[in-house]
Amino acid sequence: MKKNSFFRFFRTREFTVTIILLLLVILFGMTTKNFLNPSNIRNLLLQVSTIGIASIGMTTIIITAGIDVSAGSILGIVAVVAGKTALSGYPIWLIFLLALLVGALLGSLNGFIIGFIGIPPILVTLGTMSFLRAMVYQLLGGKWIGSYPPFPDSFRKVGTGVFYGIPIPVWIMLGLVLIFMYYLRYRPTGRYIYATGNNIEAARVSGISVKKILFFVYILAGMLYGVAGYIMASRTGIVQTNTGAGFELSVIAATVLGGTNILGGEGTVVGSILGALLVAVIKNGMILMNLPALLEGLIVGAIIIGSVIADILKTREGKR
Amino acid sequence: MNRFLDLIAHNRNILMLLLLSLIFLTFTVLVPHFFSMYNVLNMTQYGVEIGLLAFAEALIIISGGGGIDLSVGALLSLTAMIIGVLVGRYGFNIWLAVIVGLGASGLGGALNGFMISFIRIPPLLATLATMYIFDSLALLVSVEPQFGNPMPISKFPDSYFFIGQSTIFGIPFQVLFIFLPIFFILNYYLKSTIYGRFLYAVGINDKAALFSNVPVKKTRFSVYIIGGILVGIAAVIMTSRIASARPDLGLGYNLQAITIAVLGGINIFGGEGDLIGVLISIGIIVVLYNGLQLAGVNAIWQMGTLGIVLIGSAIINYLLSKRKLYVISLKNSK
Amino acid sequence: MEPFLKVSRIVKNFGGVKALKGVDFELIKGEVHALVGENGAGKSTLIKIISGVIQPDDGEIFIEGEKVRILNPKDAHEKGIATVYQEPLVYKKLSVVENIFLGNEIKTSNGSINWKAQVNKCKELFKLLDIDPYLIHTPMGELSVGLQQLVLIAKALNYSAKVLIFDEPTAILTEIEAEKLFKIIKKLSSQGVAILYISHRLEEIFRIANRVTVFRDGKREGTFDIEEVNRDKIIELMAGKALIETIERQKNLSKSPILEVHNLTSPYFKDISFSLYAGEILGFSGLIGSGRSELMQTIFGLIKKDSGKVILNGEEIEINSPEVAMKYGIAYLPEDRANEGLFLRETIKFNISIPILKNLTNFFFKIDNKKENELAQKAMDAIKIKAPSILTVLNNLSGGNQQKVLLEKWLLTYPKILILDEPTRGVDVGVKVEIHKEIVKLAEKGMAIIVVSSELPEVIKLSDRVIVMHEGSISGKFNRKEEITPKNLISAATGIRKAS
Repeated sequence: MKKNSFFRFFRTREFTVTIILLLLVILFGMTTKNFLNPSNIRNLLLQVSTIGIASIGMTTIIITAGIDVSAGSILGIVAVVAGKTALSGYPIWLIFLLALLVGALLGSLNGFIIGFIGIPPILVTLGTMSFLRAMVYQLLGGKWIGSYPPFPDSFRKVGTGVFYGIPIPVWIMLGLVLIFMYYLRYRPTGRYIYATGNNIEAARVSGISVKKILFFVYILAGMLYGVAGYIMASRTGIVQTNTGAGFELSVIAATVLGGTNILGGEGTVVGSILGALLVAVIKNGMILMNLPALLEGLIVGAIIIGSVIADILKTREGKR
Repeated sequence: MNRFLDLIAHNRNILMLLLLSLIFLTFTVLVPHFFSMYNVLNMTQYGVEIGLLAFAEALIIISGGGGIDLSVGALLSLTAMIIGVLVGRYGFNIWLAVIVGLGASGLGGALNGFMISFIRIPPLLATLATMYIFDSLALLVSVEPQFGNPMPISKFPDSYFFIGQSTIFGIPFQVLFIFLPIFFILNYYLKSTIYGRFLYAVGINDKAALFSNVPVKKTRFSVYIIGGILVGIAAVIMTSRIASARPDLGLGYNLQAITIAVLGGINIFGGEGDLIGVLISIGIIVVLYNGLQLAGVNAIWQMGTLGIVLIGSAIINYLLSKRKLYVISLKNSK
Repeated sequence: MEPFLKVSRIVKNFGGVKALKGVDFELIKGEVHALVGENGAGKSTLIKIISGVIQPDDGEIFIEGEKVRILNPKDAHEKGIATVYQEPLVYKKLSVVENIFLGNEIKTSNGSINWKAQVNKCKELFKLLDIDPYLIHTPMGELSVGLQQLVLIAKALNYSAKVLIFDEPTAILTEIEAEKLFKIIKKLSSQGVAILYISHRLEEIFRIANRVTVFRDGKREGTFDIEEVNRDKIIELMAGKALIETIERQKNLSKSPILEVHNLTSPYFKDISFSLYAGEILGFSGLIGSGRSELMQTIFGLIKKDSGKVILNGEEIEINSPEVAMKYGIAYLPEDRANEGLFLRETIKFNISIPILKNLTNFFFKIDNKKENELAQKAMDAIKIKAPSILTVLNNLSGGNQQKVLLEKWLLTYPKILILDEPTRGVDVGVKVEIHKEIVKLAEKGMAIIVVSSELPEVIKLSDRVIVMHEGSISGKFNRKEEITPKNLISAATGIRKAS
């Protein structure tokens, strides 16, 4: 049976998610007053940007058949660092660099224990999740920052600014998407990430250092959480002890929805961004339709299960 | 290093008891009011609730195949809210509400078990999703129809409180009549019954279990239901003790339960570990938590410490099993 | 002519088993050299050493006259040695072109992957191998196993292999794909690539090989130009001239068969029919991949049959799970005892009692400890398991004793039909004899026994009758002891049909 690569496109998860997105946009557009309102759209895109950027990192992690529930805590710490250095008057490019560095460092903690010692990712990241959250508390001294004194305008501009009508965080997200699309497709180490998730033994035999790949992937994700943390501090103008708490749910949901298989080996950055969009649209639509925000966990949880089942059915079908 | 590992491997429970005593003593000395009747009572009461969750987690992890349950805390909140709301808002008889609550928690466990055993959704993802679903449901249930806001509820009848608040010869009721019996029953189940054997078999090698006529799917399914019921019992005890129900009652409990299980020697890959180690581990964690709290350490740092303990125990377990394999391969090559 | 690859006095031991006992071997540029031998003769071990998967315990390797050490598979690739295994090691969700180039990418000047160049090279390779180019972007997992193998050949060629090793390549190929493979092999050898071809299909070897080497029992029995030998001679060498043991025993067969299988078919075997009598030992011989284990697993209820009937004591039955099989008195010892048969982390007691726990329980599902201990101790004594106690963990036992545990475990289910799959694999000689004695004793007591084995001496020694399977079908039935000879069995196993 000829499977043309053209027709292959229609069977991808990305395509399905896009269709669902369009349907939802139409649905919400017609049933609510404000969905298609430009300020709502801008708001939506802002929310998508932090989740989307983080989901790029989560995607690479889940491709290696790992998981990272410490994303929110890493984001929190970077937000604190960014906020405090902003208050101390550091230039924004330096703060940005610091955000990347701190994120990478924290990610390397996960990466080292997972890649080189070999402890299962769920245990490690559960541990770092709570430990780092305590560090957030410690760094803030139990207070919050950003309201008095407020963050300098230069710092706030990144999160709240607009460039040719599109919020800056969205530009950052798009830029990162392009970078990582390139990296995962054209750099050998990017492909080794897929290889590790597909068949770890084959990868080892081919001479790929699986330990280094795993170590590296968590560092990469840490940096991306760092960017998201920077943006969140800049956008919301406040950093508290619970900044980023629960963030990882949305990120994992976005990644899994977008077609990244929880068992590893496949997934795309574009898919995860679409997944993030879908999650954000659903949340936004729910608010606009006056559905209680309490339903959010229910719906997102059900969506995660639904998409995993879809993955399982697809795998079973392929096996026949 | 290797001698140290061997020492731990052969005397794990004893060492943990020593650790428990050490921590207990340290806090007694350093923290005022730690070693008081009131506080010890407090600790044991709290220990029962988290302990039941830890038992649930331990059984689930023993069953192998990536078994884990991230939703125990959320299920606790949900069950507590259901009981609280049935009694407080709809005037149910308390004992009827308790039965419904237990049924609900059993059903929650069954949902997890069904998705994991029969649909083959990886346990991590399934229970991550149900964690958020149960949390959300707990919030929903807690919404007062008039106010539209999630609210805690505190309308329990006095006849309910003996479960969580009464003592007999100074020992809390729930310890004597619920926790200890359950511990012995579960231990008996694990060590002496055919179903316990099946659990270990499935956890060690589910393929060999299949080939040996062990019902793999049913065994894994039932262990999640048992977990759910244990969570329900914990919810009953807790609501009886604090005389109220809040939708975030179980916050952070999944981390505690998993940490206790791992510290207690339950192998994250399945098939290994027993409840005695878990029991001692409950003691360690509860004492640690309580001591830190009394010492004025913020709740967030309590969780943070737990995170360190989790990673530390996981690493020790890992080193222990590597050492074990090495020793075996040495013996075999002779 | 100086051989391209030469190995000298290679020795390799695994635990107590001597896989290669001082082997010399040479490979000349451009030749197609076939390697034949029974299972366990040492062919795969030699291949693994040449491909860098394992290291020899002793001996030397020379490439183009220079002494070398092949440290790992990547090192082997760099030295020009590429292997295509029977079980393809692939990245299922990645595309075909990716599978070929991963680890060996064509890069641009800035270090990124040059997909265009890779696709082009891929097209070239595919042209050489006559593979349809539209497959280039297809996920590997969607290809048939045969196609996957062709892709792996392309991958090997991409390493500019000077030596290309095939391990039973046609076992998973259709006839058309096999023909393609032969054409490719001819082409490659004419271009100077040395081809090492392991196969048990003698017809193929006579078609494409220039020379053939026969391995037996860890030694090289001989190397010949293909014109110098014929099938019979090769089979003789494979079987060896060693005296085949037999066991004297009483035979008390039931008049009617206890088990009858009619036209049993599944994805792994076709149209299998045979009968089994109580009190006999029925041997199932054949090479790896012939479908014997799958047949037994189907009878035991682990695999679903597509069609056919199973008749037990005259009544047709449906066996859809091991539980049902056990109820009918069937027991099955799997060939992979470590992964499928035993709980190595647990004690002898645990392992022995697991299938029959239901019989050991009294009230409240409690396991009667005393009964269990007695049972386990009795079992240990019955077959003389060498261990300190019933509480010894299996990991600490030798392979032979582990096998004994596996046997005792199933004997406790009091089976009427006992199916043994490779009962003495990885077991040392002393224990082998004990197990054989036990099997004969059981048959004399009236049990119906099936022994699936790839070890000819074992099959010949134990069996009253032998059925040989070849690629999923029965290729020979030998009902009289005189007919059960190495020559007959190997002929049937390699596909030369004997009228039965």
